[in-house]
Amino acid sequence: MTANPPKTDDLGAWTERVLPTSLTEIRGTERDVLMRLRELAYDDDHLFAVRLALEEALVNAMKHGNHSDPTRSVRVSYRISPDRVEIRVVDEGPGFDPSQVPDPTADENLDKPCGRGIMLMRCYMDKVEFSPRGNEVFMVKCR
Amino acid sequence: MTEAGDILHISQRDGVTLVRLRAGAVRTEAEVEALGRGLLSVAEVPGQRVVLSFLGVKHLTSLVLGQLVQVQKHLAESGGEIRLADIAPQIHEAFTITHLDRLFKIYEREDEALAAFAEDAEA
Repeated sequence: MTANPPKTDDLGAWTERVLPTSLTEIRGTERDVLMRLRELAYDDDHLFAVRLALEEALVNAMKHGNHSDPTRSVRVSYRISPDRVEIRVVDEGPGFDPSQVPDPTADENLDKPCGRGIMLMRCYMDKVEFSPRGNEVFMVKCR
Repeated sequence: MTEAGDILHISQRDGVTLVRLRAGAVRTEAEVEALGRGLLSVAEVPGQRVVLSFLGVKHLTSLVLGQLVQVQKHLAESGGEIRLADIAPQIHEAFTITHLDRLFKIYEREDEALAAFAEDAEA
Protein backbone atom coordinates (compact mmCIF):
# COMPACT_ATOMS: atom_id res chain seq x y z
CA MET A 1 0.00 0.00 0.00
CA THR A 2 1.43 3.38 -0.93
CA ALA A 3 1.37 6.59 1.09
CA ASN A 4 0.08 8.48 -1.94
CA PRO A 5 -0.22 6.56 -5.20
CA PRO A 6 1.19 8.42 -8.19
CA LYS A 7 -1.40 9.94 -10.50
CA THR A 8 -1.11 11.23 -14.03
CA ASP A 9 -1.48 15.01 -14.03
CA ASP A 10 0.33 18.15 -15.11
CA LEU A 11 3.33 17.35 -12.94
CA GLY A 12 4.53 15.05 -15.70
CA ALA A 13 6.12 11.65 -15.59
CA TRP A 14 7.84 10.16 -12.59
CA THR A 15 11.55 9.46 -12.73
CA GLU A 16 12.24 6.25 -10.85
CA ARG A 17 15.59 4.91 -9.68
CA VAL A 18 16.35 1.73 -7.82
CA LEU A 19 19.40 2.25 -5.61
CA PRO A 20 21.49 -0.37 -3.88
CA THR A 21 21.72 0.16 -0.13
CA SER A 22 24.86 2.29 -0.05
CA LEU A 23 25.01 5.93 0.98
CA THR A 24 27.42 6.66 -1.86
CA GLU A 25 24.55 5.87 -4.26
CA ILE A 26 22.59 8.89 -3.05
CA ARG A 27 24.66 11.46 -4.90
CA GLY A 28 23.51 10.60 -8.43
CA THR A 29 19.86 11.06 -7.52
CA GLU A 30 20.64 14.21 -5.58
CA ARG A 31 22.57 15.66 -8.54
CA ASP A 32 19.72 14.94 -10.96
CA VAL A 33 17.05 16.47 -8.70
CA LEU A 34 19.15 19.59 -8.03
CA MET A 35 19.92 19.99 -11.74
CA ARG A 36 16.21 19.95 -12.56
CA LEU A 37 15.42 22.41 -9.80
CA ARG A 38 18.09 24.78 -11.10
CA GLU A 39 16.78 24.45 -14.65
CA LEU A 40 13.41 25.61 -13.33
CA ALA A 41 15.06 28.48 -11.42
CA TYR A 42 14.08 27.30 -7.93
CA ASP A 43 15.83 29.50 -5.35
CA ASP A 44 18.58 28.45 -2.95
CA ASP A 45 16.19 27.93 -0.03
CA HIS A 46 14.15 25.42 -2.05
CA LEU A 47 17.31 23.68 -3.25
CA PHE A 48 18.58 23.38 0.31
CA ALA A 49 15.24 22.11 1.62
CA VAL A 50 14.66 19.49 -1.09
CA ARG A 51 18.25 18.29 -0.99
CA LEU A 52 18.16 17.91 2.79
CA ALA A 53 14.80 16.11 2.84
CA LEU A 54 15.76 13.81 -0.03
CA GLU A 55 19.01 12.89 1.62
CA GLU A 56 17.39 12.32 5.02
CA ALA A 57 14.72 10.11 3.44
CA LEU A 58 17.28 8.04 1.54
CA VAL A 59 19.60 7.71 4.53
CA ASN A 60 16.66 6.63 6.71
CA ALA A 61 15.57 4.09 4.09
CA MET A 62 19.05 2.59 3.79
CA LYS A 63 20.18 2.68 7.42
CA HIS A 64 16.97 2.20 9.39
CA GLY A 65 14.68 0.65 6.76
CA ASN A 66 17.03 -1.76 5.04
CA HIS A 67 19.36 -1.97 8.06
CA SER A 68 22.30 -1.25 5.71
CA ASP A 69 21.74 -4.65 4.09
CA PRO A 70 23.49 -4.42 0.67
CA THR A 71 21.19 -7.10 -0.78
CA ARG A 72 18.20 -4.78 -0.32
CA SER A 73 17.30 -1.83 -2.53
CA VAL A 74 15.66 1.56 -2.16
CA ARG A 75 13.27 2.84 -4.79
CA VAL A 76 13.14 6.61 -5.21
CA SER A 77 10.68 8.35 -7.51
CA TYR A 78 10.39 12.06 -8.19
CA ARG A 79 8.70 14.53 -10.48
CA ILE A 80 9.33 18.20 -10.65
CA SER A 81 7.22 20.95 -12.16
CA PRO A 82 7.80 24.71 -12.13
CA ASP A 83 5.79 25.01 -8.91
CA ARG A 84 5.96 21.67 -7.13
CA VAL A 85 8.35 18.85 -6.24
CA GLU A 86 7.13 15.38 -5.28
CA ILE A 87 9.42 12.66 -3.97
CA ARG A 88 8.62 9.11 -2.95
CA VAL A 89 11.14 6.79 -1.22
CA VAL A 90 10.40 3.12 -0.56
CA ASP A 91 12.64 0.67 1.27
CA GLU A 92 12.48 -3.10 1.65
CA GLY A 93 12.45 -3.12 5.43
CA PRO A 94 9.66 -4.05 7.82
CA GLY A 95 8.56 -0.44 8.26
CA PHE A 96 8.08 1.58 11.43
CA ASP A 97 5.60 3.78 13.24
CA PRO A 98 6.72 7.42 12.89
CA SER A 99 4.60 8.41 15.89
CA GLN A 100 6.84 6.25 18.07
CA VAL A 101 10.03 8.11 17.16
CA PRO A 102 11.09 10.06 20.26
CA ASP A 103 11.01 13.85 20.08
CA PRO A 104 14.68 14.79 19.49
CA THR A 105 14.09 18.25 20.95
CA ALA A 106 13.02 16.92 24.35
CA ASP A 107 15.58 17.64 27.06
CA GLU A 108 16.24 13.95 27.65
CA ASN A 109 16.94 13.36 23.94
CA LEU A 110 18.89 16.47 23.09
CA ASP A 111 22.28 14.79 23.49
CA LYS A 112 21.31 11.63 21.61
CA PRO A 113 23.05 11.22 18.24
CA CYS A 114 20.00 10.01 16.26
CA GLY A 115 16.36 10.89 15.60
CA ARG A 116 16.54 14.28 13.87
CA GLY A 117 16.07 13.24 10.24
CA ILE A 118 12.28 12.97 10.24
CA MET A 119 11.93 16.25 12.10
CA LEU A 120 14.09 18.02 9.50
CA MET A 121 12.08 16.46 6.66
CA ARG A 122 8.82 17.66 8.19
CA CYS A 123 10.16 21.18 8.76
CA TYR A 124 11.72 21.70 5.35
CA MET A 125 9.00 20.11 3.21
CA ASP A 126 5.36 21.19 2.92
CA LYS A 127 4.02 17.66 3.21
CA VAL A 128 5.55 14.45 4.56
CA GLU A 129 3.41 11.31 4.70
CA PHE A 130 4.37 7.78 5.63
CA SER A 131 2.55 4.70 4.40
CA PRO A 132 0.67 2.71 7.05
CA ARG A 133 3.47 0.14 7.09
CA GLY A 134 6.04 2.91 7.38
CA ASN A 135 8.46 1.71 4.71
CA GLU A 136 7.46 4.45 2.28
CA VAL A 137 7.55 8.22 2.55
CA PHE A 138 5.93 10.72 0.20
CA MET A 139 7.08 14.34 0.33
CA VAL A 140 5.97 17.54 -1.37
CA LYS A 141 7.65 20.91 -1.61
CA CYS A 142 5.70 23.77 -3.19
CA ARG A 143 7.27 26.84 -4.67
CA MET B 1 39.17 5.18 3.01
CA THR B 2 38.45 8.83 3.71
CA GLU B 3 40.88 10.19 6.29
CA ALA B 4 40.00 12.80 8.91
CA GLY B 5 42.65 15.04 7.35
CA ASP B 6 40.69 15.01 4.09
CA ILE B 7 37.73 16.53 5.90
CA LEU B 8 39.25 18.63 8.68
CA HIS B 9 42.06 21.16 9.07
CA ILE B 10 43.14 21.31 12.71
CA SER B 11 45.28 24.02 14.30
CA GLN B 12 45.90 25.54 17.73
CA ARG B 13 45.05 29.11 18.73
CA ASP B 14 45.88 30.28 22.26
CA GLY B 15 45.09 26.95 23.87
CA VAL B 16 41.97 26.37 21.81
CA THR B 17 41.80 23.78 19.05
CA LEU B 18 40.46 25.39 15.88
CA VAL B 19 38.91 22.94 13.44
CA ARG B 20 37.88 23.98 9.95
CA LEU B 21 35.92 21.77 7.60
CA ARG B 22 37.71 21.43 4.26
CA ALA B 23 34.72 20.26 2.29
CA GLY B 24 31.66 22.32 1.38
CA ALA B 25 29.52 19.39 2.45
CA VAL B 26 30.04 16.22 4.43
CA ARG B 27 27.72 13.71 2.84
CA THR B 28 29.00 10.24 2.24
CA GLU B 29 29.10 7.72 5.04
CA ALA B 30 32.91 7.68 4.77
CA GLU B 31 33.07 11.47 5.07
CA VAL B 32 30.70 11.55 8.04
CA GLU B 33 32.70 8.80 9.76
CA ALA B 34 35.98 10.60 9.02
CA LEU B 35 34.52 13.78 10.50
CA GLY B 36 33.49 11.90 13.63
CA ARG B 37 36.90 10.19 13.96
CA GLY B 38 38.73 13.48 13.51
CA LEU B 39 36.64 15.35 16.06
CA LEU B 40 36.73 12.51 18.56
CA SER B 41 40.52 12.36 18.27
CA VAL B 42 40.60 16.06 19.14
CA ALA B 43 38.23 15.39 22.02
CA GLU B 44 40.58 12.73 23.46
CA VAL B 45 42.48 15.47 25.31
CA PRO B 46 40.64 16.00 28.61
CA GLY B 47 39.12 19.45 29.01
CA GLN B 48 39.80 20.30 25.38
CA ARG B 49 38.24 23.52 24.13
CA VAL B 50 37.33 23.33 20.46
CA VAL B 51 36.01 25.81 17.91
CA LEU B 52 34.55 24.23 14.77
CA SER B 53 34.23 26.57 11.81
CA PHE B 54 31.64 25.81 9.14
CA LEU B 55 33.01 28.45 6.77
CA GLY B 56 32.14 27.44 3.20
CA VAL B 57 29.84 24.61 4.28
CA LYS B 58 26.60 24.80 2.33
CA HIS B 59 24.92 21.56 3.26
CA LEU B 60 24.74 19.01 6.06
CA THR B 61 22.48 16.26 7.28
CA SER B 62 21.30 14.82 10.56
CA LEU B 63 24.21 12.35 10.40
CA VAL B 64 26.62 15.25 10.85
CA LEU B 65 24.47 16.75 13.61
CA GLY B 66 24.61 13.37 15.35
CA GLN B 67 28.40 13.28 15.12
CA LEU B 68 28.63 16.78 16.64
CA VAL B 69 26.34 15.76 19.49
CA GLN B 70 28.54 12.74 20.24
CA VAL B 71 31.68 14.89 20.26
CA GLN B 72 30.07 17.48 22.54
CA LYS B 73 28.97 14.76 24.93
CA HIS B 74 32.46 13.22 24.93
CA LEU B 75 34.10 16.59 25.57
CA ALA B 76 31.66 17.55 28.31
CA GLU B 77 32.58 14.39 30.25
CA SER B 78 36.12 15.76 30.69
CA GLY B 79 35.14 19.40 31.19
CA GLY B 80 35.74 20.35 27.57
CA GLU B 81 33.45 21.98 25.06
CA ILE B 82 32.99 22.47 21.33
CA ARG B 83 31.67 25.79 20.05
CA LEU B 84 30.51 26.42 16.51
CA ALA B 85 31.06 29.36 14.16
CA ASP B 86 30.62 30.60 10.58
CA ILE B 87 27.37 28.72 10.09
CA ALA B 88 25.38 29.66 6.98
CA PRO B 89 21.82 30.83 7.74
CA GLN B 90 20.18 27.76 6.18
CA ILE B 91 22.34 25.42 8.26
CA HIS B 92 21.82 27.53 11.36
CA GLU B 93 18.10 26.99 10.86
CA ALA B 94 18.66 23.22 11.10
CA PHE B 95 20.30 23.75 14.50
CA THR B 96 17.35 25.89 15.58
CA ILE B 97 14.72 23.41 14.35
CA THR B 98 16.37 20.56 16.22
CA HIS B 99 16.99 22.75 19.30
CA LEU B 100 20.69 22.00 19.04
CA ASP B 101 21.28 25.72 19.45
CA ARG B 102 20.58 24.92 23.12
CA LEU B 103 23.34 22.30 23.20
CA PHE B 104 25.99 24.30 21.34
CA LYS B 105 27.18 27.86 21.69
CA ILE B 106 27.11 29.29 18.18
CA TYR B 107 29.03 32.38 17.04
CA GLU B 108 28.92 34.33 13.83
CA ARG B 109 32.68 34.09 13.26
CA GLU B 110 35.46 31.85 14.51
CA ASP B 111 37.39 34.77 16.05
CA GLU B 112 34.33 35.57 18.20
CA ALA B 113 34.20 31.97 19.39
CA LEU B 114 37.93 32.00 20.16
CA ALA B 115 37.59 35.31 22.01
CA ALA B 116 34.67 33.95 24.04
CA PHE B 117 36.79 31.00 25.19
CA ALA B 118 39.57 33.44 26.17
CA GLU B 119 37.12 35.59 28.11
CA ASP B 120 35.74 32.55 29.91
CA ALA B 121 39.28 31.50 30.87
CA GLU B 122 39.98 34.96 32.32
CA ALA B 123 36.72 35.07 34.27
